[in-house]
Amino acid sequence: MIEVGLTHFLIVSSALFSFGIYGIITRKNAVMVLMGIELILNAANINFVAFSRYLNLGLSGQVAALFVIILAAAEAAIALAIVLNIYKTFDHVNVDEIEKLKE
Amino acid sequence: MDLTNLYYSLRLILPEVIVSVALLIIVIADLILHRDKKSIPYIALTGMLAALAFMITDLAQQGFAFIPSKSQHMFGMVAVDAFGTFFKILIIISSVFIVFFSNSSLEIQKVSDRIGEYYTLIYGMILGMMFMISASDLILIYLSIELLSLSSYVLAGFTKLRDRNSEASLKYIIYGAVSSGIMLFGISILYGISGTTNLMALNKFFQSPELNLLTLSFSLILIFAGIGYKISAAPFHFWTPDVYEGAPIAITAYLSVASKAAGFALLIRFIRTSFVAVVDAQGNWILFDFFDWRSLLIIISILTMTLGNFSALWQNNLKRMLAYSSIAHAGYILLGLAVLSVHGLIAIMVYFLIYLLMNLGAFFIVMLIADKSGSENIDDYSGLGYTSPLLGVALSIFLISLTGIPPTAGFIAKLYLFIALVDANMIAVAVIALLNTVVSLYYYVRVLKHMYLTKPSASTSSVRAVGINYAVVLILTIPVILFGLYFTPILEFVKNCISILSI
Amino acid sequence: MNIYDIIFYLFAAITLVSGFFVVSTKNIVHAGFYLLFTLFGVAGLYVLLGADFIAIVQLLVYVGGILILLLFGVMLTNKITSVDLRSGTSYIIPAVIGVGILWGALTAVLFKTSWRSKAPSGMDPTTSEIGRLLITDYVLVFELLGILLLVALIGAASIARRDKE
Repeated sequence: MIEVGLTHFLIVSSALFSFGIYGIITRKNAVMVLMGIELILNAANINFVAFSRYLNLGLSGQVAALFVIILAAAEAAIALAIVLNIYKTFDHVNVDEIEKLKE
Repeated sequence: MDLTNLYYSLRLILPEVIVSVALLIIVIADLILHRDKKSIPYIALTGMLAALAFMITDLAQQGFAFIPSKSQHMFGMVAVDAFGTFFKILIIISSVFIVFFSNSSLEIQKVSDRIGEYYTLIYGMILGMMFMISASDLILIYLSIELLSLSSYVLAGFTKLRDRNSEASLKYIIYGAVSSGIMLFGISILYGISGTTNLMALNKFFQSPELNLLTLSFSLILIFAGIGYKISAAPFHFWTPDVYEGAPIAITAYLSVASKAAGFALLIRFIRTSFVAVVDAQGNWILFDFFDWRSLLIIISILTMTLGNFSALWQNNLKRMLAYSSIAHAGYILLGLAVLSVHGLIAIMVYFLIYLLMNLGAFFIVMLIADKSGSENIDDYSGLGYTSPLLGVALSIFLISLTGIPPTAGFIAKLYLFIALVDANMIAVAVIALLNTVVSLYYYVRVLKHMYLTKPSASTSSVRAVGINYAVVLILTIPVILFGLYFTPILEFVKNCISILSI
Repeated sequence: MNIYDIIFYLFAAITLVSGFFVVSTKNIVHAGFYLLFTLFGVAGLYVLLGADFIAIVQLLVYVGGILILLLFGVMLTNKITSVDLRSGTSYIIPAVIGVGILWGALTAVLFKTSWRSKAPSGMDPTTSEIGRLLITDYVLVFELLGILLLVALIGAASIARRDKE
């Protein structure tokens, strides 16, 4: 096996990104779509931290990753509040069955 | 960054500081005033007017704020310039109008016990938009987009009164979170290629000869997907009709004007700062030739215009029709960007100023009618011109202006756009835009036909605008006519504001 | 093949296998727990990259906050008293093909790029340096995030609360 380098981390992050996109496309439950979004954000974070280390960019990538983690927390809070609201209104959270707004 | 630099930076972003302080005052006021929340809209209005006063008096101020201490370059995170201040003034003006809209709107009055939270979220949107307009660093751009988006997701579903409110906020947050996640991934790859997130440093980086074009294109596609979602450009516009229809109409009006303006200002600043190698004597931008920018922008704008206009033809719901019309207008504005010169920039800024007035006006009248008659369907507009004369005339003026027929201001906006296109020898594109305007005539005039050429039915109500509503209608209608005839002040104002800080 | 590589492959395997199961399992609660392992794996990768502070923040905020929130969301929005907790999926085959192409393209692009990577320096503790950066270079973003968190808090509470009857 080759020595672990930048590309190894990038393969992990690109795989996580692809899993996230797959999760968003295929899943019907709104909370599952949120999990896919969290995977995408984690993939971007791994990119930031890995570039920051292997390209000798100081700690700017890590600070960016910190900001993204904080933002993901705020976004998850609002997303789940909206999902709870949907559940109260429609009694289920399948995104493709909520189609009241039509042409 | 030492203290003197910090004071200098804070002085530059004084309007944003005022907005943040006003936000905190609203939160505290909401806590203190338990029963009577009548004064919160006044506090909100005061904050906005204070920020507006500072920006108007300080129009010429420019500089970089928040410069990192140990950096080799002197480019900071925030670029304060006249271009940014122009768009921030537009944002604050539309926010002031939204305060009046919310005060008159029946939907918002029904949730008046949560009015403190409502204005906190509006201020969150304002702050996010103001930083989007002047951010010069990709991290700050992303976070301010998120601040705007998070507040909008909540506001779209704020009233929770009907099913469609909740559905609008769900659709909005799913589309928005996915788009911003993809944009973040693109930003991370761009960071890896270039080693920096600052827009000016990116410009320096793009000048170096050895560039990996494939990875760069990939990351730029992802980033532009995120920005395209914000300005409702095709093919990222699918959230717009549903969200605009489901949200309370004051929020729809706000999103269609302010959020779009902030997204466009961001796009313009991004392209101008990072991708323009040199500006030649006639004011044309010469961009780095990674790909054919002009063709790409033309294709996207034609797609957006056509989709917006043709989808609006089938709509019977006024809100949805206005949503598709705003998508079409985003297409016209993108054409102004495709010119890639200073003249295009002037055309865009004039267009936005006039678009603000006419779009806000149209939404206000639709809101007044919907509050009285309970419906936004076009059939309930039959004979409205006779039952509600003032509003009928005002709505007619706004619709004619949205089409772009003289002597309204909308004609002036489109005129400048076409002049910029013809100057840049993009005749075929100008013809396509003209054809699109003709298509849009059909659906705008359909409303006029219903209002004036059909008899009032039983469900048509007679809506009167009293007091504040009357004043707002006048304030929005008169400039639309006035600027159609005497538009020199707008032109002078815009020409004073076109300086973008860049290399 | 030193110990660093072995630990990397271990954590990468945990992350990727759990990530795959998050999006492909039918049971929602299982998906939540697979997400837990994914986030743990990512925290381990951060440690391997020398980002000790970020790894701990990941564990505290993502695992300890966001994941718990997501599990609450799962519990509150599905009728878990019934035995079957399956969640449906749609468009599997086109999605697999599309995402497979995407991942292939992405990996090829990232592989082919000649990153100007230098040999990584030693691993120092990063907390004090990150703290310094937050107060000097990134102070605006730091304060803006404070306001963002306040607005998110107010917004989430406003949407999710029960209406006063």
